[in-house]
Order: sequence, then structure tokens, then C-alpha cells
Amino acid sequence: MITSKKGVRDPEGEAIHRQLVLKKGYDRVKGVRAGKYLLFLVDEEDPQRALSYVRELCEKLRIYNPVVHDIEVRIHS
Amino acid sequence: MPLSREDIEEIRRILGREPTREELAMFEAQWSEHCSYRSSRRLLKLLPEEGSRTRVLVGRGRDAPAIELFPGVAIVFKIESHNHPSAVDPYNGAATGIGGIVRDVLTLGAKPIALLDMLYLGDPRNPHANWIARGVVKGISDYGNRIGVPTVAGDTWFDPAFNKQPLVNVACVGIVDTKTLASVLRGPREGDLVLIAGNPTGRDGLLGSSFASKPLEDSDSDIAAVQVGDPLMEKLLIDAVTEIARRGLAKLIKDLGGGGLTTAISEVAADHNLGVELHLDALHTRQELTPLEILVSESQERMLLVVDESSLPEVEKILRRYEVPYSIIGRFDGSGRIRAFFKGRLVADVPARELAKPRTLYREARPPIEALKGIAPPPPVREPEDLAKAALKVLSSPNIASKRWIYEQYDHEVGIRTVLKPGYGDAAVLRLLDGSGRGLAVKGDANPRYTSLNPFSGAANSVAECFRNLVATGAQPLAIVDEINAGNPEKPHHYWFFDQMVKGVAWMASELDLPVVGGKVSFYNEDASGRQVKPTATIVGVGRIDNVERALPACFSQPRNLIAIVGVTYPELGGSEYLYAVHGIEAGEVPRPRPASELRAASLVLDLASRGAIASAHDIGSGGLATAILEACVCSGLGASVDLDMVPSRGIERLDQLLFSETQARYIIEVPREALPTLERLARERGARVAVIGEVRDSGEVELRSGGKRIASIGLEEAREAYESSLPRALEW
Repeated sequence: MITSKKGVRDPEGEAIHRQLVLKKGYDRVKGVRAGKYLLFLVDEEDPQRALSYVRELCEKLRIYNPVVHDIEVRIHS
Repeated sequence: MPLSREDIEEIRRILGREPTREELAMFEAQWSEHCSYRSSRRLLKLLPEEGSRTRVLVGRGRDAPAIELFPGVAIVFKIESHNHPSAVDPYNGAATGIGGIVRDVLTLGAKPIALLDMLYLGDPRNPHANWIARGVVKGISDYGNRIGVPTVAGDTWFDPAFNKQPLVNVACVGIVDTKTLASVLRGPREGDLVLIAGNPTGRDGLLGSSFASKPLEDSDSDIAAVQVGDPLMEKLLIDAVTEIARRGLAKLIKDLGGGGLTTAISEVAADHNLGVELHLDALHTRQELTPLEILVSESQERMLLVVDESSLPEVEKILRRYEVPYSIIGRFDGSGRIRAFFKGRLVADVPARELAKPRTLYREARPPIEALKGIAPPPPVREPEDLAKAALKVLSSPNIASKRWIYEQYDHEVGIRTVLKPGYGDAAVLRLLDGSGRGLAVKGDANPRYTSLNPFSGAANSVAECFRNLVATGAQPLAIVDEINAGNPEKPHHYWFFDQMVKGVAWMASELDLPVVGGKVSFYNEDASGRQVKPTATIVGVGRIDNVERALPACFSQPRNLIAIVGVTYPELGGSEYLYAVHGIEAGEVPRPRPASELRAASLVLDLASRGAIASAHDIGSGGLATAILEACVCSGLGASVDLDMVPSRGIERLDQLLFSETQARYIIEVPREALPTLERLARERGARVAVIGEVRDSGEVELRSGGKRIASIGLEEAREAYESSLPRALEW
């Protein structure tokens, strides 16, 4: 999961929050962050190794920009 | 750039006491290079502000200048760089660059109609540079497409010098009727209100200008200066602000750009000899902010409107209708001071003029040893045995090859103004949409190699190339804006390039009678090790076209038409694309700027165009004559036969010189046979050298002849492949 870092603005998330969620009355939602979700199917037995493998490729291939984005890599199933 | 010890002394003297934290931050923001031109102001005075062909309606010193295109119709255009933000976050850095330049144009009430992007990027095969290139193009494309303004033209260059630090120069062109223009030039009076409209202010982009005014560091600490563009808000601002302006409700509009609120307010107050009382807590914010943060935040998509009491209800109605958040945060007064309150407490009290105009810094300029590379003739090279192969190699260089990969990501047609699209004319041609057929041409140019070898001549040549590109569409050039991208002004070896580039632009612009109505300076374009990127002078020019139906394409149009060359070719291979692409050499005297020849050639081309005596015209620039002919063939699908012995030249000893010399002031023109007498007569009258060198053929090849023999032949399919596929292949791997 790739999202903007905490201090970085997210106009898409803000627009969803304001124009969709709040307008329809769901006012207990205090914020929305939009991001990108990528599911990697990795041929690997060890979950830890799969995680570090994907983390490395995301960084090396600049799937995200470490200066502005946070990523979260976890095992889906 | 943090304040120096002398600066702080000066601030103490201005205030007569110790500054508060808020005041210090205001001075730091406003006195940064980016906002106050401290190191450049002295030299920029050399640039001509007027020209005999041009009515300048708003000159330098405002957010954007305006010139008269036709009676009652003004063009507003401006250039800006977003080099530093794009190095850190290519996508958002480039996107917010577009946002900023569009708002500059909005400040004169103009409707933005076109964007240009001049990108000087790293080697596409370098992974980091490749990532920057993709991010920059995507950022421009997403933002431009979402606000509905077409990207119609630009310039692209690839060079390893830009691997870490690209140059992202963007320009916007807007159109406004002179009545609306007059209404936003009225300016504030005592008692008028300060209204801030647009995005709520946040902590993003704190002291971003100050960030752009120092070298890049290799760390994550620059995060606070990263801003994210919000094209949805920008679009609302465009609609709301143009409506407010058109209805005469705003007395002045200003962008909250570099330096944020501090810069915007201090410049307005200083320009009008006024003071202002601000209540910072009245501003709409995204989060809890300190007064200091409010004063210098550079949150995007915000504008300042000066409104009088009686217009306020109407302005509020419009902003509410477009759902643009706003707040009224203060009032102008006669005090000459900026007094900022936060929850009733006075946090800053500074004289507007002293804040807006810091003292000029005198910088030392000294040419570095490497500048010698540009003053000697280029080293001798062996003439290639296969000239066709050499021509294809030059044509496929990423600096020459088709930029389709880039411009196809942009919407270049939205708004249906575009007459000549990217790839079909030397400049973009846009129509006015008033049913008259009148229009304008616009183009941006630079050559980082020239300016790094010889900053004076290189910058002068950028002006000349922009001039030729406009002329080649049949447009009468009216004015230019410039963006000078340089290194660290504190280093004499860097500053020398800046000094020379400004002088080169100033000289050529005066010679060509083109006012430099606005511009921007970007310093500190160096990487973490202190190496400056190739210093680059980017020029964007606008020209008038009376009838867009007659705008000239750069592609050949009709078999059997004659091909003629305007201008004399000299052996000028120094700094050429040929030496670089074929021989791997970047050295030597760059082509001489030739203003007198430029004027003669341009007057001939424009005269022929107005009589309908030419079918197409193409500037001979990077890659020389061979490239110009191949380009005109590839984009039309037509072939050509050219006799090189007919090309007027002086001092040429070899065919590679003739084919690839980048001598200035030359055009390839396509002339219908029946217009030949007109061409010959006008050339005599104008004193321009012209020669027919061949004809357009439906032959599927470009044939080059010399000494009565065929010396090279290039198949059109092969040329098209080289031209079209080189850039995608370099970028997509």
C-alpha cells in the first residue's frame, strides 16, 4: 500500500472526504487518505523473504517515491 | 538561502529593534533569491522592455506581463521554473509548476489557453534520470489535462548533466480583453479588503522559495518543501477568478506563490505605497498553524484578491457558487507598514518597501577554465564515409528525434484553438475563437549545450531560434519572456554563466526589436557535489498571425514544389548535434548569432507567407540542413531531391560541414513553381540570400546530390523509424 507521507497533502483523499463522505452525512469520518494498492504474487516459501523482496523492488524500481510516500508491505494470504 | 549576518544587521536597522521570529521568517522568505532577485536584479535591467513593433500593456515587475495582440485583445504570458521541486518529487514538482504559472496568468484576469513545457532532462538510460523524466511528464500531463488547458508546444533536451537536477521550465499563455485588464490594474486604495481565495493554508511548502534558493541536499529533510498539486481547486479558481475579473470586481489579483502570503502582500503594499493590517487568525487553514507558518506557508492554489467594500457581496457570491473557500484577512491603510495580528496580538510590524526590496547583492563573475572549450574551433574530425548513416544517427538523437512520446501524453487540443499541433509546425498556432481567423503563435527554445560552451552566444541563439520558429509559421514575433537557469550565484565560476546569458539575451532581443516583457531566474541548479548543471537560457516567444488559415506548417506539402534555402551556410560545427551524436564531442565555438541576417531572412519569409507564395517553412536549427530536410519529409510522408552544390555557403570544405552546420538565420522553404519569380524578386528587394536547392518528390526517399552525382539516399521508412522510435526506445526499457 502506497500513501502520501503524513505531512504531505492528499487532494484526492480530501476531495473524497469532503465531496462524498461528509456530503452524504457520514460526519464521523475525520479524514480520508487515498493511495495505491498493489498485489504481488511472489514465488517464495518464506513470508519474511517475500516481504523484503517486494520491499526492495518497490524501492529500486521507484514504484514509490521514498521522499513523499510511505509504503506498507504485508502478506495478503 | 538563510539570512546572512549582514542581512540580520540590516533588519535590525530597518526595524530599530530586535526582529520577532515571525518578522525574521518574513524577511527570509521575501529576501530569498527566488522572490527578490537580489543577485540578478542589476543585470536584468539590461533587458529591453520595449520594441517598436509591440505595444507592451504590462511590463516587467508584475506576476505576468501583457502585450497587445490586436486592438482590444491582450496576450498574457509568463515562464517559470520548478527545477528544485521536480528533482525531489518529479510528479508533484512539475504539476505544481503548471499550477503556479497558470495562476500568474490569472492575475491579469486572463483566461489561460495554452501551456508550454521546456524540459532539460538527464540521460534517459540512467535509471534515476529516467524516473525523473517520466514523473515530470506525467505530472505536467495530469495537471494540465485536469484543468483543461492544452499543452501545445515546448522543447526537450537530454543530457547526463541533468541526471540529478533537471530543468523544468513551464510557460502559460492567456488571453484577456483590455477592458478587463484595466480593471485588475486599478490597484488597492486605503480601506480596500485583502481576500484570500483557494485552498486552505497548511504546513506544506514551508519556506519553499528559500529551499529553491540553496543547493540540493541528499536527504529527506526537504520533505516540508514538497507540495502536492490540486488541479480540481485550480480549475475552480480559474473559473471563479476570470469571472470576478471580467465583471470588474477585483482591483488587483495576485498569486500566493513563492514566499506565500508575505511576498504577495509586501509586494502589493510596496508597489502602491500603502500599508496593510492583517488578522492572520481569520485565514482559513487546514490545520492549527502558528502565525509564522501562516505568513510563509507556500500552500498551492491560493490567490489574493483586492476588493472594495461595495464589490464584496458579489465576489463572495461568485466564490460560493464555485465552492472556492475564502477569507477576508485584512485591509489596506496608509501606514506603509505590514502589521500582522494573531488573536489580537501584534506579531509583526515591518515597513512594506524595505521588506519587498532588499539591497542588491553584487556578485563576482569569473570565467572558469572549462569556458575555454567554447572559444576554440572544434577539434578536427574525420568525415564519415557514409553520410546517410550519419544523418540518420543525428536524426535519431533524443535531442532531435520526435517528442511524440512526450506530447501524446498531453491533451493538446482541448479548447479547439490549436491550428498547428505539436510535430507539424515550428511553433504552435492558436486561433482566437472570435470568428475572425486571427490568432497567435507561441514557442519555447533553449540549447543547453550552446549556453554551456558559450553562455553569451548560446543565449543569443536561443532568442534567435525562438524568433525563427515563430516566423516559420508566418507569425510576426512580438515579445519574449526568459528563464535563466544557472548555478550558484555565490560562486564566481557559476555566476559568470548567468552574467553572460543575461547579456546575450539582452543583446539579441534588442537587435531583433523584441521586448523581454517578463521572466524568471533560477539559481542553485547544482547537484549535491556542487557541480552546476548545464546553464540554460530558455526563451518563450509570442507572435501575431492575422489569418490562421495561412499559418505555415513545417512539413512539405506537395510533390514538384521547389525547395529553397534562405541564408548562407558557414562551417559552424562547434557545439553541434552532429559532433555530439556522431563523434561524441561537445566542444568548439558555437554558431555566431547573426541578428542582421535574421531580420533579412525573417522579413523575406513573412512577406512570402503573406502573399501565399510559400507552402511550408522550417527553421534550420539543431542537426543542420540534413535534419531540417529529413524532418520536413518524415512529417509529410513526401521525399525530396536536393543538390548540395546549390546551397549558398562560405568557407565550407566538406559535405559534413554543409549538411550538419548549425549556422543561424537559415530556413528551408517550400515554394510552388509558379511563385519562383516572386521569390527571386522579393529576395533581391530584401537583400536576403536564397537559392533553390531541389524539389519535393513523391519518391519515398531523400536524395542528396553533389558534383552531378547522387552521394547519399535515405529511405523515408528508415528515416521515419529513426525519428519516431528513438525516444520511446530510449525511455521505455
